[in-house]
Amino acid sequence: EAVPPLRPGLGKMSSAEPGRFFCTAGRGLEPFLAREVRARLGATEVDCVSGKVFFRAAAGPGELRKLRSAERLFLLLKKHSPLPVSGNRGKMLHEIKNLVIEEPKYWLDIISVWRRLCGHEGKADDVSQENTLALKRKSEGETNTASKRQKMEQVRAFVSEECQVEAGERCVAPERMSSQECWIESETSSEFPSKGSGENPTANEKLSFSFRVSCRCSGAIAKILTSQEIGRAIGIALVKQCGWRADLRDPDLEIFVHLNDIHSVVGIPLFRLPLANREYIKTAGLRSTVAWAMASLAEISAGALVLDPMCGLGTILLEAAKEWPEACYWGADISDSQLEGADGNIRTAGLMDKIELLKASVKALPLPSESFDSVISDIPFGKKFKIMNDAQLLPDILQEMERVLRVGGTVVLLLSQDLRKLTDGLTKCARSDSPEATADGNSEAAPAKALRVHGNSSSLAHGVGESFLSSRHFGSLVPDGVYAVSLGKTDAFIHKYRKVSAAGNW
Amino acid sequence: KLGHPSELPPEPVPNYEADEEFLRRLHHVLLEVEVLEGSLQCPDSGRRFPISKGVPNMLLTEDEA
Repeated sequence: EAVPPLRPGLGKMSSAEPGRFFCTAGRGLEPFLAREVRARLGATEVDCVSGKVFFRAAAGPGELRKLRSAERLFLLLKKHSPLPVSGNRGKMLHEIKNLVIEEPKYWLDIISVWRRLCGHEGKADDVSQENTLALKRKSEGETNTASKRQKMEQVRAFVSEECQVEAGERCVAPERMSSQECWIESETSSEFPSKGSGENPTANEKLSFSFRVSCRCSGAIAKILTSQEIGRAIGIALVKQCGWRADLRDPDLEIFVHLNDIHSVVGIPLFRLPLANREYIKTAGLRSTVAWAMASLAEISAGALVLDPMCGLGTILLEAAKEWPEACYWGADISDSQLEGADGNIRTAGLMDKIELLKASVKALPLPSESFDSVISDIPFGKKFKIMNDAQLLPDILQEMERVLRVGGTVVLLLSQDLRKLTDGLTKCARSDSPEATADGNSEAAPAKALRVHGNSSSLAHGVGESFLSSRHFGSLVPDGVYAVSLGKTDAFIHKYRKVSAAGNW
Repeated sequence: KLGHPSELPPEPVPNYEADEEFLRRLHHVLLEVEVLEGSLQCPDSGRRFPISKGVPNMLLTEDEA
């Protein structure tokens, strides 16, 4: 379904204009994101696939920017069924080009929509006008040998290969914001007389719109064509059609093309930096999207007391305090350097009055029993944290967490693949109880089952929880959901528990 | 004990609820002053827990745990 282009020159953009968007998401976070776009943006036509969530929403850039469980946000241009795969490479490349090639006016409309959404207000119309003229000038036969050679060099340079097939977004290195340069360019070009002839081809090159194609391809298509070839073909076609200049380093516009067995998608990222890069976090620890997702499971209400007894750099507390500011947050850690980092983060985020820090051990918390409504923690694992290699520490940790938690309170933990493996009964029960278990990261069925906010634990959750906790008597912590998430290179599991009273209710 | 002896009386004066000035100073001490360096003292044991850069160190020693 192609996005109908909005008319340019609509003046001030009202946030009531609906648009079709999609976000990339770390694997496992799609259901969280689907829920978030509905709740935060009133989104409709929400469609989840592995790694992406599509939706329609009438939202301005300020609101879109607030999405917390998404990696990057794109304006959706094209979403078609997967490209037919044949042995005929030429034919396939032709089909791919057809995906992207449109009349120049289509692109101008899209660009003006995109500019409004990015917050490039005002001059969009003038720029569109001038760009139309620039396009026409180019296609009216500027091709001399010099510019042809230039084009070929650009074509070699611009292809950006992103062959990331597996889970997790690779974080694009933050680029210099060049909106200033953009404006200088457009202001100069608007001074150009809008006459047809007599212009300098070199000047034209400098002032034309620059772009980059980011192409990802996987599945059957990847066996015939590489994303590099596809990106190059698309780029050449766009240069020819629109007269744009290819720029790998710092383009005005990035065009994102994703071809796989599920669909063919073309989009334009709305913001240069991924949404997952938070401007309020100075030093990143756990991926912010995962931290937010964990906090969203804890059921934080106004006046709640929330504890992270192994807070590290405080990422979970920061995400929670930003989203649910009407609660009180406490963080504890035994490491001075981590606490200093957390303190720096808290000050950068301006959350000093919301988050308290303690130097304390999770095995002996200096906190009264039943004093907290929620305990949320990323259990450190891996070679970096030697003390955690011994999984026997886990019951000690859980004991203290359970003690400080009030009846009815929630525990949300992030556990590694390894920690899970160490508890044999855990993975066995997960597989046998439910085929769509999150244990093997099969995310197709998981979105439907993943968000069980209230207590009706499925047999899956019971099996998992009981074997995990049965070695010690944690009868009062009842499992209430398991969610597999990707942390980029590794997978991890969010486990939620609820504390029940001795009578077994809360 | 927080270094504001001149501002606060040692005990609440009678009818302190109506004393705007007193309430303002009390609010400041309770909610706006952040202890960066100092200590917390356990009222039962008298054990002091040092505060450094605003963070109290509540780790127990081997014997205490």
